[in-house]
Amino acid sequence: MSVDLRVNLGSLSLKNPVMPASGCFGFGREYSEYYSLSALGAVVVKATTLHPRLGNPTPRVSEVTSGMLNAIGLANPGLENVLSEELPWLARQDVPIIVNVAGDTMDDYCQVVDRICQSGLAHAIELNVSCPNVQLGGLAFGVEAAVLRNLVEAVRTVCTLPLFVKLSPNVTRIQDLAIAAASGGADGLSLINTLIGMKIDLNTRRPVLANRTGGLSGRAIKPVAVRMVHDVAKEVRLPIIGMGGIYTGHDAAEFVMAGAWAVEVGTANFTDPYACPRIIEELRSFMEAEGIKNIEEIRGSAL
Amino acid sequence: MLVQGNRRLTSDIWVLDLVGEFPYDKVTPGQFVHVLIGDGTAHPLRRPISIASCDPVGKTLSLVYRVVGDGTKWMRERRPGETIDVLGPLGHGFPAPQRPGPVLIVGGGVGVPPLYQLAKVLHAQNVELDIVLGFKDHGDVFWADEFGKLGHVTICTEDGSVGRPGFVTEALGDDRDWATLYSCGPRSMLKALKTHFQGTDIQGYVSLEERMACGIGACWGCTCENADQSEARRICKDGPVFSWEEIQL
Repeated sequence: MSVDLRVNLGSLSLKNPVMPASGCFGFGREYSEYYSLSALGAVVVKATTLHPRLGNPTPRVSEVTSGMLNAIGLANPGLENVLSEELPWLARQDVPIIVNVAGDTMDDYCQVVDRICQSGLAHAIELNVSCPNVQLGGLAFGVEAAVLRNLVEAVRTVCTLPLFVKLSPNVTRIQDLAIAAASGGADGLSLINTLIGMKIDLNTRRPVLANRTGGLSGRAIKPVAVRMVHDVAKEVRLPIIGMGGIYTGHDAAEFVMAGAWAVEVGTANFTDPYACPRIIEELRSFMEAEGIKNIEEIRGSAL
Repeated sequence: MLVQGNRRLTSDIWVLDLVGEFPYDKVTPGQFVHVLIGDGTAHPLRRPISIASCDPVGKTLSLVYRVVGDGTKWMRERRPGETIDVLGPLGHGFPAPQRPGPVLIVGGGVGVPPLYQLAKVLHAQNVELDIVLGFKDHGDVFWADEFGKLGHVTICTEDGSVGRPGFVTEALGDDRDWATLYSCGPRSMLKALKTHFQGTDIQGYVSLEERMACGIGACWGCTCENADQSEARRICKDGPVFSWEEIQL
């Protein structure tokens, strides 16, 4: 039996629903030494900001049981370099490009999104709203519904590409933020970003990360992520890209059953550089074994 | 790769010998491999371990590691006949000397291993080697004899229990005109060396250590700053070896 892995996220058509998550895959160059990026549904590139950022002091990654903490701090070469060096290279790899955008102010976000859309090099935007809002004293854009809605509305006015908003799980009710993003004009939602965590070194009696706290990712967060995808899918009728601890084709299928239309794979790339193409094949095998012709047949089955 | 041996060198330093398929010919001294711990379920992050010795003819790879946490404890328990998953060789190693003349190699503690492969390669090219190795105490010393076959070795210990007492910089006389310095060890040692040789025209290369995630340059977890602190350098991909002028030590 042949299975159809294609999926349409609104106007964004993907040959399969698996893509590497932002921040875990650079701009694709490194993993292209391991396999052809054209095997992927899309590539979600590292968060891009208006100006280059060095990020936080090291150590800024640390392993925890079945997961990891990171406090990279959105290190990236900045918009100009991304437009002149990174995206032109990636655009030659025959894979849709989703550019993750971050900023300190609403104006930063709008400028970056505008330039990315005008470049003609990207296929969609993913808005990273877990960054601190400088004008609001550092509170993240993505934790208050009214603030998030304002941001999405502003970005929407300049965004000519499909606009996905990546939701933070560090909120009381993620559905409220999903609704805010939808009413601001988002075309889709991706979730979840990392959960804030901390690890303390028993020898130094201090936090391991120089930043003290970091975002928890990996297998450890999968049940939380599945639950949040489910909760959001129940209330919002927008395409959802699910993520959080996906390591296998079965994990990907579980997110689809929870209501995701596609998935992103993050930490698994570090454990296994071939994680994404492997997950695509495992998902195909699972569907074959279960007699599922099209991914839509199982989408939201658990809702 | 297949585990051929796993032996204790000091109270907490071990050497793991591996055989089997590996791109041995591509290894340059100073590169590392990324070791998967178990099946990666409990330990999603691989451990970067420098290549201490690589023999393309005998097809063996030796990794020297200090047992510090759960990951390296797992490595310590590996027995001959078991297989482990290693990714590599990764990163940029020590470049060949840019100009002729004697070479100084300085290692500290668990920074010593990658310098062994380097010393083997340079010795085979008939380069004159002065090797200074610093350890905490006599129980910490390893491979002094192995290095002794490749060059003139000076051992230093912090407590003076073997070799010269004190830090490696105190063992460096001013009587030699070294062309190149290769070093790996604690950041404080690398800094002290740079200060020691300030004003000379010795070309210095240092190997840096940092907690890593991807190990291939994609995640930007293990960065340092370039010399004028304007840009980041990825230790796993652009390094781990850098010219000491290139980066902020």
